[in-house]
Amino acid sequence: MAMKALDIYKLLPKTNCKRCGYPTCLAFAMKLAAGKAEVEACPDLDPGTKALLGGATRPPVRLVGVGVGERSVAAGEEFVLFRHEKAFSHPPGIMVQVSDTWPEERVRSIVETVRETVVHRVGMDLVLTGVAVRNESRSPGRFAEAVALAGGGSTLPLVLIAGDLAAHEAALAVAGHYRPLVHAATEENREDLARLAKRYGCPLAVRAASPAGLAALTAECAAAGVVDLMLDPAPRSLQDYIAMATGIRKAAIGRTEPALGYPIYFDTTPFRETDAALAAGILKYAGVIVVPPLPPATVAAGLTLRQNIYTDPQKPIQVTPGLYPVNEPGRDAPVLLTVNFSLTYFTLLGYLEASRIPCYLLIVDTEGLSVLTAVAGGKLTETLVADSLRNFGVGETVDHRLLVIPGYAAPLSGKIEDATGWKVMVGPRDAAELAGYLEKEWRA
Amino acid sequence: MTDSSEPGPAVREVRLGATRAEGGTREVSYVIGGDRGLPFTGNRPDRLLVALEVCDDPQFSPPVVRDYVGDLANNPDEWARAAERTYGADIIRLNFTSTKQRGFDAFSEIAPTMERVLAATARPLIVEGSSEPELDSEVFRRCGEAGEGERLLLGTAEADRYRSVAAAALAYDHAVIAQSPIDINLAKQLNILLRETGIPGDRIVIDPYTGALGYGFEYSYSVMERIRLAALAGDADLAMPVISAPADTLTVREVREATPAEQDAIAVAWEFYTAYASFVAGASIVCVRHPLTVKRLHEALEV
Ligand code: B12
Ligand code: SF4
Repeated sequence: MAMKALDIYKLLPKTNCKRCGYPTCLAFAMKLAAGKAEVEACPDLDPGTKALLGGATRPPVRLVGVGVGERSVAAGEEFVLFRHEKAFSHPPGIMVQVSDTWPEERVRSIVETVRETVVHRVGMDLVLTGVAVRNESRSPGRFAEAVALAGGGSTLPLVLIAGDLAAHEAALAVAGHYRPLVHAATEENREDLARLAKRYGCPLAVRAASPAGLAALTAECAAAGVVDLMLDPAPRSLQDYIAMATGIRKAAIGRTEPALGYPIYFDTTPFRETDAALAAGILKYAGVIVVPPLPPATVAAGLTLRQNIYTDPQKPIQVTPGLYPVNEPGRDAPVLLTVNFSLTYFTLLGYLEASRIPCYLLIVDTEGLSVLTAVAGGKLTETLVADSLRNFGVGETVDHRLLVIPGYAAPLSGKIEDATGWKVMVGPRDAAELAGYLEKEWRA
Repeated sequence: MTDSSEPGPAVREVRLGATRAEGGTREVSYVIGGDRGLPFTGNRPDRLLVALEVCDDPQFSPPVVRDYVGDLANNPDEWARAAERTYGADIIRLNFTSTKQRGFDAFSEIAPTMERVLAATARPLIVEGSSEPELDSEVFRRCGEAGEGERLLLGTAEADRYRSVAAAALAYDHAVIAQSPIDINLAKQLNILLRETGIPGDRIVIDPYTGALGYGFEYSYSVMERIRLAALAGDADLAMPVISAPADTLTVREVREATPAEQDAIAVAWEFYTAYASFVAGASIVCVRHPLTVKRLHEALEV
């Protein structure tokens, strides 16, 4: 089981010598308990204590990276079973599969799509992660060629899927320096594959149909010197996947089976229902998900689900409160009141930029709550609006005293007028109607 | 490795619909709930239902749905028949959207609409009655009475307006949807209030409110997970099955701005991801609005 800060503290030297980089041994203990520090940082621990603490304080799911550079992906370093307990850390990498039996053009265009696809949401660029190359040709040479076609791993992270050792050897000769994920070590080939992964310093997926089988494989691979491992539970159905992944994650975070403390690898391609499988992988603990080429409608929804599930449940994504000029406003441009929830800001901004109407956005601090939620929860108040108008110097920036408020804030309009001395115009509820509204109603 | 082997408290069972033997006229009735573990981890499959929405006034249905169903939208009974026979819904969600009209007073239309829809489909019904507090008592009474014996799932009870729904459910023996705004404590409080009116726990289904994918869904997802965890931990006031209605999903920007050629695919994708994720979080019933989403969900639940 994970250790509490005080229990860890009891095992530390208690000299507060600060060499670990923390002011006191207790501060260090707290960091260790949170999985945020390495035992190695304290030079005064004997090896026995180090081993004990190391086992109990390293992240229960090991952080494993695939690929190099900007587009590389990291999986693991998770501490909980449910996102309301603590934000999930590393969104799963989505790897689009190509086969070495497919025509060159097809592979090229899929790789291109993976590289170029971007979904813009809430100020973030959501992207597909990489490419999974599958050896179906039975030819090591063709496998290596397909891997090269996929960029060899230099731009996009790769998964190399092959049952045959010679195929992996050929592919790693091309891509080995770019940390591709090698799939998969099984009961039969584990020694050879572990040796190969070790030689190139690549992460390795192990595949077995039971948690016990997976644990046995990771223990052996780790002993052979490969510690960047992933678990492929070879699910027979989606329900089986969810049940297995849940069991693995539970064993890992409860530290009942440290040999299961690795990210999960999930191949959705055996299942006809790709969307369901992708969703299941995102929702239930996958670190790397292999998918067939996805239609655009699916990509946007799938990436949005991944973004939703991996946002911090305690802290909505926020923008800094302030007065934001949009479309180069002048001194007679409208001032639009809104909240500092990122989603609200970017939704609004999207419509305003498309309409090209010059204006100022007055973003007030509702602690990241949306308009309607902030009104319902009493976070958007006339005092907040008055303070924000003053603090952000709105009166000095424009020549009028008119404030457009969101339709959902209508109940506050009188109070805002009284508290600020500004005249309030109640805008539409839906931002899509804002441009039409301003064209009709706005005169400074 | 699964939870089903561990004995423990279960989510309560709730029966929806009534066959002839049960005093109604439905060809099937369902028992939802009864789960003893985390969703999808048991040996026995959870009983999951897909509901398709039918509106009595189609102007409150999203444009993409109106475009897809065409003339059906003008006849709730035809629409309900298609929902069952053509689109494969397990249960029909009849939404009296006409009550959203300003100055609504067509109370006398409610019973005939109920009767026509009940006759058009052999599946159980979810009935969303009024959405205006002033109309509640009249609307729910008429819905409840017209469905007497059919064990409807009547909605929606909220903390500040639950008495009329509860009264109709008690008088005509229906189950109730209890909706609270994405907050487990409020969900629990409402269940306690409903119980105090006399509604037994096995006639309550929790609706924790489902935000649209990309627009607050993550909060709803976590509340559904927490409700299941509370039920498994033995909290009797939260041990009810969950219904999820991601109704806003088809009006999000991404769907509204889709080109005509893509709009169905995009609508279904957004609705599908939300609905399937709700099942994974623990919902027993998911209500969708685009007919094509129904089949996709059934297929997904089979693999
Ligand atoms: C996610 C969510 C939450 C999250 C918070 C997420 C967040 N960061 O805000 C959580 C779970 C924390 C939450 C809590 C609560 N919530 Co809440 N929540 C929602 C939900 C599902 C989505 C909100 C959202 O993200 N909307 C998207 C953003 C972009 O919308 P928006 O900010 O309003 O912006 C739009 C418009 O206002 C407009 N706009 C924005 N700025 C401007 C500016 C101008 C000038 C103009 C013209 C227009 C404009 O454009 C945008 C796009 O159209 C809504 C349901 C819904 N459909 O809205 C309920 C909802 C808002 N919540 C509700 C309630 C009651 C609450 C609580 C009070 C419940 C409670 N626990 O007591 C709390 C209050 C919070 C608090 N701590 O005090 C109710 C409000 C009921 C009402 N009509 O008053 C709703 C409607 C749900 C419901 N039907 O019951 N909630
Ligand atoms: S280095 Fe070790 S002994 Fe020194 S303060 Fe840190 S934990 Fe304490």
